[in-house]
Amino acid sequence: MGQIKYQLPPEEVLAPGHFACPGCGATLTMRYALKALGRKTVVVIPACCWSVIDGPVPYSAAGVPVFHTAFETAASTACGVKAGLDAQGDHETTVLAFAGDGGTFDIGLQALSGAAERNEDFIYICYDNEAYMNTGIQRSSATPLGAWTTTTPTESPKAEKKKNIVEILAAHRIPYLATASVAYPDDMISKIRKAKDIRGFKFIHVFSPCPPGWKFEPEDSIKISRMAIESKVFPLIEIFHGTDYKLSKEPEGVPVRDYIKIQGRFRHLDEERIGIIQENVDEEWERLYSKCVPTTQAHHAGSGEFQGERRSSAALSIRETDSAKKKVQSARR
Amino acid sequence: MTKYNFSTVEEMPPLAFSLESTRMIPTGSWRHVRPVYRDKNSPCHITCPAGEKIPAYFELVRQKKYAEAWYKILEDNPLPGVTGRVCYHPCEAQCNRAGYDGAVAIHNIERYVADKNLQNKKLPAAVESPKSEKVAVIGSGPAGLSCAYQLSRMGYRAIIYESDHEPGGMLRYGIPDYRLPKKILDKEIKDIETLGVEIRTDSRIGGNVAWNELERYDAVFVAVGAGHSREMETPGEDLKGVYSGIHFLRELNAGNVPKVGRNVLVVGGGNTAIDAARSALRLGKRVTVLYRRTRADMPAVPGEIEEAEKEGVHFEFLVAPVGLSGDKGKVSEIELVKMKLGDPDESGRKRPVPVKGSNFSLKADTIISAVGEEPDLSFLPYSFLKKGIRLLVDDDYTTGVPGIFAGGDAATNPNGTVVNAIRAGKEAAISIHEFLGWRSRSNGASHNAVTPEEVNTFYFPHGNRVKVPTQTIQKSKSAFSEVNRTLTEEQALTEAERCFTCGTCLHCDVCMTFCPDVAISKDESGEYVIDYDHCKGCGICVEECPRGAMELIPEGAREPAEEVD
Amino acid sequence: MEGRNGMNTTNSGLLHPSIEKVVVMEGTHAASYAVKLARVQVIAAYPITPQTSVVEKLSEIVSDGELDAKFIKVESEHSAMACCIGSSISGARAFTATSSQGLALMHELLHWAAGSRLPIVMVNVNRAMAPPWSIYVDHNDSLSQRDTGWLQFYAESNQEVTDTVLQAYKIAETVSLPVMINLDAFVLSHTSEPVAIPKQELVDEFLPARKASFKVDTSDPRAFGALIGPEAYMEMRYKLYQAMEDARSVIREVDRDFANMFGRSYGGLVEEYMAEDAETVLITSATAVSTARIAVDELRSMGFPVGLMKIRTFRPFPVDEIRALAKHVRKIGVMDRNVSFGATGIIYQETKAVLYNAPDRPAVFGFIAGLGGRDITPETINEIFSYLMNHEEPVSEAVWVGLKTAGADRPEPPFPENSAAMKRSDGV
Repeated sequence: MGQIKYQLPPEEVLAPGHFACPGCGATLTMRYALKALGRKTVVVIPACCWSVIDGPVPYSAAGVPVFHTAFETAASTACGVKAGLDAQGDHETTVLAFAGDGGTFDIGLQALSGAAERNEDFIYICYDNEAYMNTGIQRSSATPLGAWTTTTPTESPKAEKKKNIVEILAAHRIPYLATASVAYPDDMISKIRKAKDIRGFKFIHVFSPCPPGWKFEPEDSIKISRMAIESKVFPLIEIFHGTDYKLSKEPEGVPVRDYIKIQGRFRHLDEERIGIIQENVDEEWERLYSKCVPTTQAHHAGSGEFQGERRSSAALSIRETDSAKKKVQSARR
Repeated sequence: MTKYNFSTVEEMPPLAFSLESTRMIPTGSWRHVRPVYRDKNSPCHITCPAGEKIPAYFELVRQKKYAEAWYKILEDNPLPGVTGRVCYHPCEAQCNRAGYDGAVAIHNIERYVADKNLQNKKLPAAVESPKSEKVAVIGSGPAGLSCAYQLSRMGYRAIIYESDHEPGGMLRYGIPDYRLPKKILDKEIKDIETLGVEIRTDSRIGGNVAWNELERYDAVFVAVGAGHSREMETPGEDLKGVYSGIHFLRELNAGNVPKVGRNVLVVGGGNTAIDAARSALRLGKRVTVLYRRTRADMPAVPGEIEEAEKEGVHFEFLVAPVGLSGDKGKVSEIELVKMKLGDPDESGRKRPVPVKGSNFSLKADTIISAVGEEPDLSFLPYSFLKKGIRLLVDDDYTTGVPGIFAGGDAATNPNGTVVNAIRAGKEAAISIHEFLGWRSRSNGASHNAVTPEEVNTFYFPHGNRVKVPTQTIQKSKSAFSEVNRTLTEEQALTEAERCFTCGTCLHCDVCMTFCPDVAISKDESGEYVIDYDHCKGCGICVEECPRGAMELIPEGAREPAEEVD
Repeated sequence: MEGRNGMNTTNSGLLHPSIEKVVVMEGTHAASYAVKLARVQVIAAYPITPQTSVVEKLSEIVSDGELDAKFIKVESEHSAMACCIGSSISGARAFTATSSQGLALMHELLHWAAGSRLPIVMVNVNRAMAPPWSIYVDHNDSLSQRDTGWLQFYAESNQEVTDTVLQAYKIAETVSLPVMINLDAFVLSHTSEPVAIPKQELVDEFLPARKASFKVDTSDPRAFGALIGPEAYMEMRYKLYQAMEDARSVIREVDRDFANMFGRSYGGLVEEYMAEDAETVLITSATAVSTARIAVDELRSMGFPVGLMKIRTFRPFPVDEIRALAKHVRKIGVMDRNVSFGATGIIYQETKAVLYNAPDRPAVFGFIAGLGGRDITPETINEIFSYLMNHEEPVSEAVWVGLKTAGADRPEPPFPENSAAMKRSDGV
């Protein structure tokens, strides 16, 4: 009943000194992924924030081999690396394609679909920061409804819903598919480890907040990620073979409004439009929930180390910490 | 691979690949705010009059280090078994968990720790080397005991003069057994004596001990308490069957059960009134408390009032005695006037005003008057400055007379509680220490406590506050056995787990877990180290710290001193 | 060595000792069997006419267990190249095949492969670019990839396809650059010819397993291809440029080694035919060379001092070879099976460019022929030679041979009418 604590693998594979912005969710995603996979891993990175984060020549933060590849080729290049290693008798090394949402949802979708359909044996992690952040915040098909980006200005924010990449991948009937969040590192790590032990194509969709792109203070990265989960905006699930849905964590049902209100990218939204977003979230949630087996079973089948579901109510847990906030802000000034 | 570098084309590798880790890049230079570990005070600690280090001893409880937890409490309060029972625990009202799912039952944990150590003979050693100075303490109530105890810890010889036959003052004679069993008090006083405090009972200053005798001491602390009941100032107060509350309780506690009729009326709204009422109830009487204001205005601890009511004590509010009448010298009736609330008085409460023509009478065979207590300072030889009925003291407990200090209910500014008396004793000991030429450790502690907003409640799953076990009313009524029980170990541990431990780093690793810059690690001793060469100052560690033990400060600012007392 | 393609048959009819067997097969299969002989480890390919039979045959070879390779049947040429890049950076020997639109789709990754200095070998069946749709030969698809950093070979025969694939891996793995081997759609890809299959053990000796000098290696973790600033990008490009320069001698050496072991040579970057004493030489590439050989034979028999230079490697471009040729010829005609819109035939441009700074600068004439599968026959070649003999200086930068037009661009009538003008100037 005490405090929620996380037991992460102690080894730090990722080095400090990388080029991520302060509070970067994508970087935490990589840090956890490398903790989960260890040093016998090859990472393939297409054009995305991580092409910069890992460091310019002659530096690298990853601590494992990294191959930078073209924007749309994360899946196809990773597939080649795996085939090449296999052909040389190396069946131990894990190959990880690590791509942003643009490289996954948009330009890389074809190669991704191809690799998924062929059930290629590697892990694909999409760190989703919901826009083209590396190019300076342009909308992608992962950008949520109503969000501001530089190509969806506040006068005409994104009019379309976020593409449901999870359902697209589920339709490929891949052996393992999961969503994860930087706010629940033990859940993420257990899912990545599970993926490592499964042969075939594994896809992990990680909610990775972006302070400059979403317009919030970097210290709130984790809080916002947590709210995304608790408000059902980004449910934590696992899907086995594309058909067996398991909920990793029952969300507490925080109003989407609370999640939206703390991000500058949604500042222009009035109550009516927030209401529409809430309806959309509820609708998607109901659809998903109806496919899931009950949480407790999912828990057993799923991530054993996950502790987050012990909470029964979170209205307070993720409230605005105003005075702490003020202190931080005054410190920033 | 060959040695490469990127300075000339000849030395460059055939394709662009990395030669070293980004660890070489000091991204710490991007930072404009800097996270620092900074333990802060918890609101409970700040609020506790005795200054108990509650988060610290709670952590020891969670580790099941009960002796260490006890020692931690003893640093500030030699009477945890007492306060664990009778303290009005203002700490809980300020507990950051109060607004979340109920304050932590600090009071009960304190009692648990004390009780767990009832058989513990191993007392903490004095913290400082023995000194030649001697200090006399007048009165062995909580203020006197606390002061003598602290002086003793500091290496002084402290001698308490107690006019009564047994030490404890109001703890012994004012608080009934069902709230504070004598064996608990005896044990803790014994511990104080074991530590080196000498208690001379049956020694009344100005009585069998001359005031002059105190001249051989280097300092004196006057802590005689307020042991005299104030009078109702109504005619008939001298009738038989009219007791003062203090007298009533005192007789009871001394084992001399006073003669009480079937129908007992208690006048007053303070703790003495409630104690007297509940005691009379335990003697099998019908008891009604008469109070001139409303229930909300009662100075007694609300929990006590509640318990009294549950046990069957009746209450009449907004009534004041006008006169008593008797039959053959024995009280038989009380005349009362109804009151209404007027403008606020100096206490902030609305002043009760008599309603003209509303007088009425009630039959009674016993009246217990508990309308307030005052000290008896008649033994003092000099004309000490007073304020009202109490000795005037400064913030440092000095009286106008050099070397003579005073505190507790005998001095100004008391609120009449045990724990405030303990605080007065402790703080007076420090003043005496300084008076004797020593420098005490700076007490410039900040009184800023961790706010509820600084606690990251995500990390604390909801859990109900422990239900304190009580004896059934019937059973407790039948004797003066204790009403409230000590928590079981399981209850105590569960409750201790509920504590946020505001402001004190527990090495829970949350900061390290969420650092995107991989800039937090632990050194060999398990302490966190921030790698400022690489920390970009995102502040996630500070925001996520479950208990407000970190802070972001502007880059370039000096690291603040620890705020903790 | 004698005969076209250097196919060595002795008078007694015995095969060269290096030959396992001679099989009649089409050009695409000549590529497939070479891939098998090269012990390629990863194949990734996507079907496109007329490349399909390359990968169909490879599928059979792999599924029969004749070749222990991973064959990834990707969902696009783009992914095919990405897979090759991935497997090559892991240290494996990779192969793909494509054509035309498929090659164009790969374009971005052709840069990636070369920039990553990966010794990938690709067979491209030269096919015209759409629209309009055409499945027939011309070279605009591969020549559009001129500046991607790939070596480009153009094969004349099925035997050359097989042999060049084997040479290509050796060259690629020596200079750390990818190699594209081009063969003409249908004219070669779907034409059956006898192909001598060399013995595997000799191929293994000629082309040992790849030893990657750099690769993704968890025991020496490095990041490949990260961001680089202007302070070093240029040097990295210079490295690639230099590798391509170095490739010239490597190509020649590998061809010599190949000849020593297998008895067949292709001359390195170019192959000359009757050029040594020729006054007028036609430069061209791929299957048109075979046709031109017939025309040259015929003209020689009639006493005309004509010759041929076959461009075997377009990249690296045979600078020295063309300059050497220029020392002793009066006229050079270049027949391009391609066109660069806004300029001329591409090999023509490059030939002229090579000669501009050379001391000997014969007249250079540009001809465009055979686009979109239009037949190049001996008559086509004769027409060109006729034009060359009738002109001292080019009057047009691009003579479209065989263009159906009523206009003035039509080339001169075929040579028999002007035979007098075509006799050797020194009267020999």
